[in-house]
Amino acid sequence: MEEKAHILGKNDIERIVSRISHEILEKNRGPENLIFIGLQKRGVPLSGRIAGNIEKFEGIKIKTGKLDITFYRDDIGHNIKPVSQITDISFDIEGKNIILVDDVLYTGRTIRAAMDALIDFGRPKSIQLIVLIDRGHRELPIRADYVGKNLPTSRSESVEVKLRETDGVEDSVTVVKKEE
Amino acid sequence: MLSKKSIIGIESLEKEDIGLVLANADSFLEISGRDVKKVPVLRGKTIANLFFEPSTRTKTSFEIAAKRLSADIINFSSSTSSVVKGESIVDTLKTILSMNVDMVIMRHSDSGAVKIADSFVEVPVINAGDGKNQHPTQALLDLYTINKVFGKFKGLKVAIVGDFINSRVAGSNINLFKKMGMDITIVSPTILLPEDFSKMDVRHCIDDVIEESDIIYILRMQFERQDRKFYPSIMEYNRFLSLNMERLGRMKPGSIVMHPGPVNRGIEITDEVMETRGKLREKIVIERQVTYGVAIRMALIYLILGQ
Amino acid sequence: MKESKKKNLLIKSGSIIDPWHNREFVSDILIKDGIISEIKEEIKVKDNNIYEINAEGCKVSPGFLDMHVHLREPGFEDEETIETGALAAVKGGFTTVVCMANTRPVVDTQSLVKYILKKGNSSACRVLSVAAMTKGLEGKSITEMGLLADAGAVGFSDDGMCVSDSRLMYEIMRYSTQFDLPLILHEEDDYISGGGLVHEGDYSNILGLKGISRLSDDLMIERDISLAKRSGARIHITHLSTRGGVEMIKKAKEEGVKVTCDVTPHHLFFNDSCLTSFNTNFKVKPPIRSEEDRQALVAGIKSGVIDAIVSDHAPHLDTEKNTTFKLASFGTIGLETLFSAAFTSLCVEEKMELGKLINLISAAPSKIIGVDEGKIEAGRLANLTVIDTEAEEEIKKGNIVSKSKNSAFLGQKLKGRIICTISRGSLAYTINNKKEKG
Repeated sequence: MEEKAHILGKNDIERIVSRISHEILEKNRGPENLIFIGLQKRGVPLSGRIAGNIEKFEGIKIKTGKLDITFYRDDIGHNIKPVSQITDISFDIEGKNIILVDDVLYTGRTIRAAMDALIDFGRPKSIQLIVLIDRGHRELPIRADYVGKNLPTSRSESVEVKLRETDGVEDSVTVVKKEE
Repeated sequence: MLSKKSIIGIESLEKEDIGLVLANADSFLEISGRDVKKVPVLRGKTIANLFFEPSTRTKTSFEIAAKRLSADIINFSSSTSSVVKGESIVDTLKTILSMNVDMVIMRHSDSGAVKIADSFVEVPVINAGDGKNQHPTQALLDLYTINKVFGKFKGLKVAIVGDFINSRVAGSNINLFKKMGMDITIVSPTILLPEDFSKMDVRHCIDDVIEESDIIYILRMQFERQDRKFYPSIMEYNRFLSLNMERLGRMKPGSIVMHPGPVNRGIEITDEVMETRGKLREKIVIERQVTYGVAIRMALIYLILGQ
Repeated sequence: MKESKKKNLLIKSGSIIDPWHNREFVSDILIKDGIISEIKEEIKVKDNNIYEINAEGCKVSPGFLDMHVHLREPGFEDEETIETGALAAVKGGFTTVVCMANTRPVVDTQSLVKYILKKGNSSACRVLSVAAMTKGLEGKSITEMGLLADAGAVGFSDDGMCVSDSRLMYEIMRYSTQFDLPLILHEEDDYISGGGLVHEGDYSNILGLKGISRLSDDLMIERDISLAKRSGARIHITHLSTRGGVEMIKKAKEEGVKVTCDVTPHHLFFNDSCLTSFNTNFKVKPPIRSEEDRQALVAGIKSGVIDAIVSDHAPHLDTEKNTTFKLASFGTIGLETLFSAAFTSLCVEEKMELGKLINLISAAPSKIIGVDEGKIEAGRLANLTVIDTEAEEEIKKGNIVSKSKNSAFLGQKLKGRIICTISRGSLAYTINNKKEKG
């Protein structure tokens, strides 16, 4: 049997997205030189929502991209995902402030791969990281600049994020505990 | 993942395999468009590119594909005649495999050579063309090209034009295109057609299909490659089978011209067609096929070695 | 004989033979501006510009078609030209002839086919041409059959030579299926016939002339029937000479193989006993064979196995014939004597119906080469031949129109004469006799 704990609902997530949008503007003193890159696949709609907010606040167009890190994983040959999502960064990132967006921060290996991948596209001025959930258990020295919610979990648990754009259901975050 | 360890012929590929390869190819196409055209996914893997028959294009395509995946690739080129008699391909393979190679890509002038090689080695083998038998990666890249242009396969009218007796491309392509539900018409003179083809929809002149086809797929016509030179002349070929400006102009809107390359200008396609500019230029997707070829080969190598 | 402005013609009271519908009836035929305008029992015209031909007691046939002649142009114009050959043709009652390709250069390109057709346009009768099957008749590589068909070739033939490479012959057959034109085949196994002069039999032994075995023809006929069966090609075996050939073709036809064949008058008229004269005009290819073969050919005509009669008109200079058997060239002319020789050997001696003979030299070969000839119908360009079947004539060198005089029939008394020939609407040939009135 599985045991599920409801953590965040639709409104919670909307508030978090809104809050982080403001934080970014505050920390970077405006939207200039910012580029949002969502990690496939749930980072993509999250980055879209944040970028959309900033466009509304500031009245300017924000560039967004998509990044798939399959080919940069360090666990190739262990746990391969065959159908990779598309990477779409159709602009120059040289000298830009990149905001990476992902749903869950866990071991840090995905972000390591994402940074490697990004650097293949050019030399950004800085890379900042947004995550919706930080569940701990880092294996690499990586931390997020903007965190939606810190969520202490055990390794036997998994965090399920659902977003309407990718999952076709109402936004939610759930912790699933697998019975031994 | 793919259902077979090796890619020897089209007939052994399941529909799901084909779908997987095409779905992955887009990612690799994107990588090939970057400034830094390289991903680290196959770091530390070694691939042997064994060409027992001269081929610049296919060899280069595989080499670029492997390098863009960060695999190490070693080239072994040798015409069959220069391989000392007595040293069989099996011994050559064993020697190379003793150096801990992870995959073999192989081209040979004899039909069946790659299949034989595959039965002797543990590592995956990709057929880069064996004699007049098969050229599966060509068929897959052609399929991918069609997918990119039309976004579908079913019901597309494909006319394959030219020399079927001396072509390794024709067999694989017919097999694959049929599998995907396309309507195939063969356009060939009787003497460049194996006798068992008479059961298919066969025409003898390109004019019979030029207006209704979605795809005109032109095979190479190598007069010097014929076992015996039965086909009369280039002039005769031009009259019945070549793509010229007049015929190109009669093709329907949205239709395309494909060719496995390299084109024998003035034989299967005229110089004017190859050099044409403007609207008709878009019909000729021969260069796109080459670009897509790298992506398809990256996808295949990745799907096999990434496991 | 040729007129720039076509005179109107009236053929009176001829017995019209219509091979397409296998009927014969007495009628007048009016030809206006070259076109058959009326076929009626009694036509009365008031026209000063009319030329009347009294054909009472005569037969009126569609103009004959000879699907196998050598007019020697280009390359051997001292022997015959398209112009002189066409004059010989109309004298023999022919309004259409088909040239073989063994000229110099060989007819293996579009321009040569067009040249012959163009030359034919200004000659006395319709001149068509086959094209070679192999380049230069060398038996090594296939000609541009598609382009040659475009240029107007009515068939393909290496006549004079036989393609000994069976694989090549097979590919030629496969390729020919694309164009729906017949392959006209000279059947001879060079390895067997090589050096031979005459039929290998009693007479070759008696006379000490090197023989050509029947096997030479029969092996190749057998091979080509097998190849045609497999490839679906349409083949026409020309100048059949052996009993075995007739039998094989009969069987092949029964099996549905697309094969037709023809025979020459000299193979129907003579047997190898003629050789005792050492007359080199009897040196022909394939050789005039034994009486047994001759009878088989006659029987083949009667039973319908043989589809056509051709002249294999092969002009040669006197210098090529006035020599020993060994050194003489192969061939006899035949356009001017084809009808009377065939009529004598088939209709007189074998009592075959005239209609059947007419069919063999008009409608039947038209069908084989796919041209619209051999018909008598109102509205058509007039191609007609008027024949007196009662007349008899001795063939004399002095009366021969052809540029070369090497006829195997010299000195023979043959029945049946051509009275006049209307070719492409004009009176192209007329015998100078009292039956005309202007």
